[in-house]
Amino acid sequence: MKLKGKLLLILSLLIVSALMLVGCGSKESKQAADQVTVDIFQFKVEAKDALESAVAEYMKENPNVKINVQTVGGGDDYGAALKSKFASGQEPAIMNMGGMQDVKDWIEKLEDLSDQPWVDKAFNGTLEAVTADGKIYGMPFAQEGYGFIYNKSIFEKAGIDADSIKSFDALQAAVKKLDAKKDELGLKAVISFPAKETWVTGLHLSNAAFANEFSDVVEAFNAKTIDFKYADAFKKLIDLQANYGYKPDGTKGSLNAVDYSTQVEELFALEQVAITQQGNWAYGSIAGIDEEVAKNIGFLPIPVVGAKEDSIPVGIPMYWAVNNGKDESVKDAAKDFLNWLYTSEKGKQMIIHDFKFIPPFKGYEGENLEPTDPLARDILKYSNQDRTMPWVFMGYPTGWGMDKLGADIQSYLAGDLSWNQLVENAKTTWAESRK
Amino acid sequence: MKRSKLAFWGFVGPSLFAFSLVVIIPLLVGIYYSFTDWNGIRSQVNFVGLTNYLDIFKDEGFVQAFIFTTKFTIASVISINIMGFSLALLVTRKLKISNALRTIFFMPNLIGGLILGFIWQFIFTKGFATLGELTGQRWLLGWLSNQETGFWGMVILMAWQMSGYLMVIYVAAIQNIPKELVEAAQIDGANAWERTKHIIFPLVRPAFTVSLFLTLSNSFKLYDQNLSLTGGGPANSTQMIAMNIYNTAFKFNEMGVAQAKAVVFFLVIGVITISQVYITKKSEVEM
Repeated sequence: MKLKGKLLLILSLLIVSALMLVGCGSKESKQAADQVTVDIFQFKVEAKDALESAVAEYMKENPNVKINVQTVGGGDDYGAALKSKFASGQEPAIMNMGGMQDVKDWIEKLEDLSDQPWVDKAFNGTLEAVTADGKIYGMPFAQEGYGFIYNKSIFEKAGIDADSIKSFDALQAAVKKLDAKKDELGLKAVISFPAKETWVTGLHLSNAAFANEFSDVVEAFNAKTIDFKYADAFKKLIDLQANYGYKPDGTKGSLNAVDYSTQVEELFALEQVAITQQGNWAYGSIAGIDEEVAKNIGFLPIPVVGAKEDSIPVGIPMYWAVNNGKDESVKDAAKDFLNWLYTSEKGKQMIIHDFKFIPPFKGYEGENLEPTDPLARDILKYSNQDRTMPWVFMGYPTGWGMDKLGADIQSYLAGDLSWNQLVENAKTTWAESRK
Repeated sequence: MKRSKLAFWGFVGPSLFAFSLVVIIPLLVGIYYSFTDWNGIRSQVNFVGLTNYLDIFKDEGFVQAFIFTTKFTIASVISINIMGFSLALLVTRKLKISNALRTIFFMPNLIGGLILGFIWQFIFTKGFATLGELTGQRWLLGWLSNQETGFWGMVILMAWQMSGYLMVIYVAAIQNIPKELVEAAQIDGANAWERTKHIIFPLVRPAFTVSLFLTLSNSFKLYDQNLSLTGGGPANSTQMIAMNIYNTAFKFNEMGVAQAKAVVFFLVIGVITISQVYITKKSEVEM
């Protein structure tokens, strides 16, 4: 009797645990034979809603395709999450690639997209980063640009003509003028400089120097060493922002506590500073705080003394890629969706109005296909005047820009590292990673 | 005989199965990868012997993270245990609000580490700054912008979160002390401090063993609070070992090196915590 009871107990325990395990494995529901399921695993949090409505639209037109969208935000998190997706066997069909290093790392999983119809519509210089052995592995996501965002009404009140700022000296003069009128204009400081965000300093700002040392991202990616030719110009840009930047406790070291939300949402959007270095993606954050401020902003160039002083960096932040391990039917559906999104009439409307992207392709000439926000319009203006420089930071060694250079800039601001030492460190760490 | 064996495996089996699935097998696979040059993505994996292990000792970042973690562990083990024990003494006195106090002190432990980190980040960078500006106390400004404030920020955060948890352990131990002993001492003329020192301290020794073990291993392995409070910055100066390992694996794509670091880390924690348990266990007293 006793034995039977125990056996029963054990048996039921085993069954329960077995059921639990089975339950974990059988999530996938059965599909009709001709139904194709495409899983998208994407990174751009801001585009999540727009992408989901685009997907719904596409599924209406193509009832046999089912598309699932999953979004994981932030650069590092996405890379780690994508790796675990692949490791666990739940590989997505469409994913994002960051550029040359990603393509090199992931190449055996990527589908060749060279035969796609959008390839000849892409702007010059946008596909090099995802080309390997003559094959194209990525589709540009959008164009983005960054520079010194300035508050037009504050500039007006201070009597500064922003269009005339086309050199470092002009920028410095404007900053000094603003600094002198700080109290009158109600500013806490002239600039907000987020040294905590090493991507702002170590990637974006340093890009200004390296975009003039290397002609494009491919050259940066293949460079075994750097000269850091424009280190002095780079130092000037950092010192200007540090000297006239908002410092929480008055010391330069405390700049290391200023993060993106303090920089953009608190200081800039509340008109406590007049200038800040960010890109067109910041429009949403600013508009979320104050619509009026957001309407009245524009880009000043990032002037590199001794090289381009009137330009802003414009580039492709991310690429779409297709997983080559999927069935032909899934891959075809994935490619068709991407092509539809960027080249069909409906897709174009959504890219401009819902995604609020600056299109990376030609063929967006129509009247109602103009970008709507002032920062995007400014980027197009700079592009048309040929006042741009490339994004080469995506060709930096993995992790170098943020964790080596960006971290050293923090030490420099805190006074723990001399500028010469920073330059030396940058050269050696680059060379070490490219050995 | 046979029957008890069956019962033994019936009960141990399922959890052993789950344990090996999520702990033992990954550990063995991890040890295997620590001898390879895998980058986390490629399907081709090359065996490189002990190179990874030699590399990590040349890695300044790792050594620095190790030193920082050790300092942090010492500071937080001491502060958490002192606070936890004091809170336990407070709430075991016969106060009217001691039940409410217990709930309040335990509450921080119910909030996830990541969220706590963000909450305290706000307190340190915004709350402290406002207070500092109002009162003119300069040391309240610019928190988390250097290693020192980052370090103390983490110690404060962890003490705030963990001391409530340890309080519960100590409360259980203190309540297990027979009333007669304390009363007898009281009659013999021992004052509050003498009673605490000679009766309560020795009799809660088993709880000390557990609490020291928990705080020691938790502080060493800390990741989420580190990530959300300082993110390892500025200049990687507040990066702890767990974060260093994660970054090596997922930011620098060096899975092999990261696994080697993890194996070394595992051995160090193992040695430290086991010897701690051994030493404190030896000095426990039986009633």
